[in-house]
Amino acid sequence: MVDPASFRDPSGFVFRRDGSLYRQVQASGAADWTAFRSTGLYERLAADRLIVEHHDQPLELAAVSGSVAVIRPRMIDVISYPYEWSFSQLKEAALLTLELQARALDAGMRLKDASAYNIQLDAGRPILIDSLSFELAAPTEPWPAYRQFCEHFLAPLALIAHRDARCGLMLREFIDGIPLELAARLLPGRTRLNLGLSAHIHLHAGAQRRAANEPPPAAGAQKPERRISETGQRALLDSLRRTVEGLRWQPSSHWSEYASTTSYSDAATASKGEIVREMLASVGGRSAWDVGANTGVYSAMAADAGYRVVAWDQDAASVDAHWRRVRGDGNPAILPLICDLANPSPAIGWALEERSSFLNRGEPDVMLALALVHHLAIGNNVPLPGVARLFARMAPRAIVEFVPKEDPMTRRLLAARRDIFEHYTIDGFREAFGGPFRIVREATVADSPRTIFLLERR
Amino acid sequence: MPFLAYIDPGSGSMLLQVLLAGVLAVPFFFRRVISDGLHRIRGNRDGTKRGEGGEDTTDR
Repeated sequence: MVDPASFRDPSGFVFRRDGSLYRQVQASGAADWTAFRSTGLYERLAADRLIVEHHDQPLELAAVSGSVAVIRPRMIDVISYPYEWSFSQLKEAALLTLELQARALDAGMRLKDASAYNIQLDAGRPILIDSLSFELAAPTEPWPAYRQFCEHFLAPLALIAHRDARCGLMLREFIDGIPLELAARLLPGRTRLNLGLSAHIHLHAGAQRRAANEPPPAAGAQKPERRISETGQRALLDSLRRTVEGLRWQPSSHWSEYASTTSYSDAATASKGEIVREMLASVGGRSAWDVGANTGVYSAMAADAGYRVVAWDQDAASVDAHWRRVRGDGNPAILPLICDLANPSPAIGWALEERSSFLNRGEPDVMLALALVHHLAIGNNVPLPGVARLFARMAPRAIVEFVPKEDPMTRRLLAARRDIFEHYTIDGFREAFGGPFRIVREATVADSPRTIFLLERR
Repeated sequence: MPFLAYIDPGSGSMLLQVLLAGVLAVPFFFRRVISDGLHRIRGNRDGTKRGEGGEDTTDR
């Protein structure tokens, strides 16, 4: 089955067969593919873990005729998208893209696109997953992906750094990257004083506007041939790199301080940790999703227990802090990502099949939902049976904490509103979750009114 | 040779790129000459050319 997101580049495509992922190179991409291999560019990139490695496969495996090569790339654990990345993750992906273009130029090739969707976060670092992204080109030809780089990377990074972290979510709306005239209008005027942003966003938006007002070329007219010097090519790349590196974001949010401002006593924290550790051990799975992970205290516990963890949180600052910490610790088992469970990533793109929804990104062996249900049930008015149904769609086993109304954190949620949640009780929880799940175990957190449930899907 | 890329490079983007490449090439070139010169004067300890940002800027 051909991957529904793999239609833009005619030089090849991705398909699945018997649960494995393959990539087929078509005749139109043959010369570029041969050069990619014969120049040693692939080997160098793979050795430095900048591109996902692949194995050559026999041509008989091709999905359709006209194939010149079939490869089987290593599969990435969990596919994520740029609108789920924090600032640092997007910035690292941007710098990787520029590094790939620089390495390609060294080999007499170039990166033919600069799509953020060609990068994935794998074992704690960004990596290129599109093995067909390189083509032969003279170093004097302008970089065709310049515009795409600015729209996919530079514009959202500049908006996060200079306007608001939530601008990253705009990528969910603009699948081809943020239009530069929009970015130019949203960025503060002072960004015109930044040389790189002034050139690559503000001037760029103006150049696009002027070009759009030009009359169309005469029928059959030659496409204009443009040349730049090789030094100019390198200078442009260097300027983009400096501009990206110069972007900084100082996150500060109520959530990233959450762990240190909670109301738990030391005894309650210790007891909760012990219960979670025991439950994780008894599940004995390999993959875990920690939903509402905050800065990842329990994600780390799961990782210590041998799980590969995706740590979802709606707060960009928490995710960024978490990513920088696991990056610093060199812990590749944890991948922090942005997701608001009350409104998770939808399926987007052509025929809604290009980018999968949050619920179609695979299933972990177990999910953790600690100190989360009260935010969904009271903060977001979702009835408990609805919460239980969603969790049952996400994972076969769940470790879920119930925070009753008498807990200070729930009292805070109810502080300014009428209590319309008569079913929000521990019995209501048992009844709601007892539908789609079997309750395997319940454990009371010492020195606290909270209870943690281990659930197994029926 | 027309552009081979499958994506639309955008005519405005192409034009700007040609202009920027011309303008940026000058300071880039001199920065490289200066940093190479400095390294030659200082002597090359580890045998690689190092750029001012500490990264390897060796290119051909």
